[in-house]
Amino acid sequence: MATKDSLVAMLGKANVIDDPKVLASYAESHSFDLHFAPWFVVKPKNAEQVEEIVKWANKTKTPLVPVSSTGVKLRGDSVPSVPEAVTVDLSGMKKILNVNRQQRMVVVEPGVTYDQLNAELAKKNMVIPGSLKPKKGQSVVTDVIEAVPRLNPMIQWNFFDPLRCVEVTWGDGTRMFTGEALAGPRDLKTQWSRQQWQVQYMGPWITDYYRLITQAQGSMGIVTWASLKAAVKPQVHQLYLAEADDLTELESFVYKAMWTRFPDEIFILNRAQAANIMGKDAGEIMQLKEVLPPWIVAVGVAGRELIPEVRFEARSKDLIDIAQTNGLDLKEGVANLSGRALYQEITKEDTGGTYWKDVYMGSHQNVFFLTQLEKTPVFLKAVREIAQDLGYPTEDIGVYIQPKHLGSSYHMEFTFPYDPNSAAAEARVLDLSEAVSVAAADLGGYFSRPYGKWAGIQLNKDAQSLMVLKKLQGIFDPNDVMNPGKLAV
Amino acid sequence: MALTKEFYRALEDIVGPRNVSDDPAVTENYRCITAQSSAHSGPYETRTPKPQAVVLPGCTEEVQQIVKLCNKYKVGFKAATTFWAAMGYIGNDNSIQLDMIRMDQVEVDAKNMIATCEPFAIGATVQVEAMKNGLNCNIAGVGCSSSTLAGSAGWVGFGPSSISMGIASENLLGVEWVLPDGEIVRTGTLGSDGEWFCGEGPGPSPRAIFRGWTGTAGSMGVCTKIAIRLHPWPGPKWIPTRGAAPMYRADGLDMVRAYTVCFPTWDAYAEGFRLFYEADVCYLAHRQFNMFGRDIKTAMVEILTHPEKQFRDLPEVMEDPYIKAQNDEMKIDVQVVVAGLTERDLDYKEKAFDAILAQIGAHKSEYYLQPDIEDFVKLYLLRLARKNYNYTLCSSYEGNFGLSPNVFVAAPLMEEASALKREWEQTHTGVAAVGGDSDMGSASGIGGGGTTGWEFFVHFDGFDRDSITDSCAFIDRTQEWMIGKGLGADMGRWNADARKPDGYDYSQEEHDALYAGLPQPALAIYPWKIREAFNPNHLTGTYMKTMTPPEVKAAQKAKKTQKK
Repeated sequence: MATKDSLVAMLGKANVIDDPKVLASYAESHSFDLHFAPWFVVKPKNAEQVEEIVKWANKTKTPLVPVSSTGVKLRGDSVPSVPEAVTVDLSGMKKILNVNRQQRMVVVEPGVTYDQLNAELAKKNMVIPGSLKPKKGQSVVTDVIEAVPRLNPMIQWNFFDPLRCVEVTWGDGTRMFTGEALAGPRDLKTQWSRQQWQVQYMGPWITDYYRLITQAQGSMGIVTWASLKAAVKPQVHQLYLAEADDLTELESFVYKAMWTRFPDEIFILNRAQAANIMGKDAGEIMQLKEVLPPWIVAVGVAGRELIPEVRFEARSKDLIDIAQTNGLDLKEGVANLSGRALYQEITKEDTGGTYWKDVYMGSHQNVFFLTQLEKTPVFLKAVREIAQDLGYPTEDIGVYIQPKHLGSSYHMEFTFPYDPNSAAAEARVLDLSEAVSVAAADLGGYFSRPYGKWAGIQLNKDAQSLMVLKKLQGIFDPNDVMNPGKLAV
Repeated sequence: MALTKEFYRALEDIVGPRNVSDDPAVTENYRCITAQSSAHSGPYETRTPKPQAVVLPGCTEEVQQIVKLCNKYKVGFKAATTFWAAMGYIGNDNSIQLDMIRMDQVEVDAKNMIATCEPFAIGATVQVEAMKNGLNCNIAGVGCSSSTLAGSAGWVGFGPSSISMGIASENLLGVEWVLPDGEIVRTGTLGSDGEWFCGEGPGPSPRAIFRGWTGTAGSMGVCTKIAIRLHPWPGPKWIPTRGAAPMYRADGLDMVRAYTVCFPTWDAYAEGFRLFYEADVCYLAHRQFNMFGRDIKTAMVEILTHPEKQFRDLPEVMEDPYIKAQNDEMKIDVQVVVAGLTERDLDYKEKAFDAILAQIGAHKSEYYLQPDIEDFVKLYLLRLARKNYNYTLCSSYEGNFGLSPNVFVAAPLMEEASALKREWEQTHTGVAAVGGDSDMGSASGIGGGGTTGWEFFVHFDGFDRDSITDSCAFIDRTQEWMIGKGLGADMGRWNADARKPDGYDYSQEEHDALYAGLPQPALAIYPWKIREAFNPNHLTGTYMKTMTPPEVKAAQKAKKTQKK
């Protein structure tokens, strides 16, 4: 078998997998979109091997699907959309290549996970700005490249912060660095010896290369390291919570808080989503739903190395005052949910058992998009109406709203738990998620990360942007070997 | 190469006869000396080519029609608005210049902290509109009289405010852009829903082709409208000023403090910056007045803030014992503005600021604590309206050195760089003798800190051939020094590969030769491919730095051989 022989010659027998059971596991995901088991799974150990694989794929016109995380696949972006694809599993590339306290920079391979990275960063009193309760085995690099929202939008001067530079092998087989790292030799150790720490992500000339791999679902190239901006670890921290009966009651406070930039973390949960996060089993989730308020805004305040208590006190008092002015009571907990407990849950990887959004019913579907805060109630109303029409219990809909990029945009996410053992429930949630996606797009929801069917919905809205995208794909992946079928209209 | 009558008439049809001209009295004014353009070519009689016509479009649709017309007739074009330097001007004889001055609208969405700006919405206008709503904008180092759009889409775009407000690239949201082939692309939410709040995606961001570390300098078509992120402003809706020019006093800035920090060593300076970044205390941070030079900066500020003193008084003021002592104290300095969004916030930031100074052994300059001087600094940095001061000493200047964006690399080299300049000042007459160190610039070239944006001001006489020639030679010398230190291109040479010393575009062969030794050739090869895809007629100059891919070169060679 020529293909297997070629792959084995490149990577060694142990790193080329064609066991059907294993292949099937790479095709499992929460997505309802058409998918296939890969032909092979390969496990490169370094960038040189990745480059070799991509060049081979170009010669043989073999589709490649990169994947860096382990565990449950939530979006289907790392599952082949075409047959006879080779999945490039980077989860074994787990080196933390550099940690620099002076610059607060870290360089990591794609297989590095949150818990692994934060354990290392903690030694130097740092932490990586995280997303909401990442799954066990979540690749930090993938999370950041795919622009999964950060809990702290106040340190996102750039839309893709904390992402800085990367090493990428484009679909045409060219391997290069991006940002300031592209101006120097393609050798990190040499750059470090010159005190170049891959801080500056732009260009380095007119073309912003790193932006081409963001939100791309592996359709442009394969990243083999990324530099990320870390934050100083808080010495004192409190996640404050305020409750509201209606989402609209939170708007003026969140806008004002975003203006001040006083919060560290800031986000909104509805009771179902808060219960999903905190509940250890379905029973506990149901109990929590009984007692939690309909809406919760969470606002983190931290004091770090420099006069931590003074900062903490000033920020806390100000935010409590601002909340009060806007009709909210910001405190250390609401109902029987403490801010500290919530903070603990959302800032560490999930347990590795059943994924937290699946605990309640066994599975879930997500619909998320970008919008502006003032428009979120409109989406909420539409989604509830669709759910009611389809007979889906609205009280089960989880909602998470996360400001991004200093509050320029807001990630709005709906979670629909369902019983995967019920064909009717599955069919209903499929209808629901499709109807919600279409309705959200009609209302101006922006699928900046267009997974699965959202690609068609979103890309068909703007022919010119699609034309630019197609031209760029033609340049960087001329043989369409990188995750074909994604970003397709 | 004159335009055909047909082409000219078509331009008139698009914008109206009043908004197009090929009168030499007009077109001659759209030429730029190349002596201050990060290419410092000189001598002063070298100017960019004269455009065949100047066109003033009034809307995006007109721009699109002009660009399509240029493609039909293979006429080059470049758009600019406030024409800061050679980057905005055409680079060959068969081109027209678009002056975007008619497109000047700015709108603020206060709740969502967004401003939409047309090309001739200058920094000052955007800031005034923002301040009415308790907001502010990053004004790039180029100053408030320059186009916000040009700084965002055309060039670099960091300044005193970037430490807290980010740089132009980071603040850029939705963008409307007429591509070099005449197609209009609207990025992100703008393209799909007519909203400006996100310029990324869907999927990989198309804006990657418009805006990297620099904008396109007009080399990828015409940007016609942008949205930018605005930032909190704790001051009044407008800043009432009183007093006589240039020494205005400001009212209503109770929540804003301005300080000049004096550092004991360059190591302390670097460490101070690191702490400023981490503690999030600075609203603005800029090494500003050192642009006049280490020996004379305090005397210059004294003159600028004194109603009766003139520049001829400089030697006398420099000898003033108080001024001299103050000046000596702030050899290594930076101007910082601390702004509190609430009383508690101001209190925290003041305490944090003092704690940083105590930790590194720095102190606040007594001179700059005088109320009049503090007001001067506040207004200067907040508005960045005094770009004329850049030219005060000798009529012209060029940014030089640039050093490293890593403050921990650059700071230890500062004295050596200063000594190099001081020696030149003492042994040559073409560069103003200001004490060697004339380093100035942004404490942050990236939002939240992490890199610096420094340059040494080389003051020279822009109307004197010998001065220009000498300043060119000095920059050649510092470029040698920079290369010796592994620091890359001197800032005075950044654009040397974008436009030739005669003011004209490079040929592809010349660019190929220039980039043959790049450590990672893909840096220039992909832009070649991007240009071919989006600018097939090569109508927009050579600021887009490109290298022919090896496979294309090989094919071209084979074709030539076949022909023979």
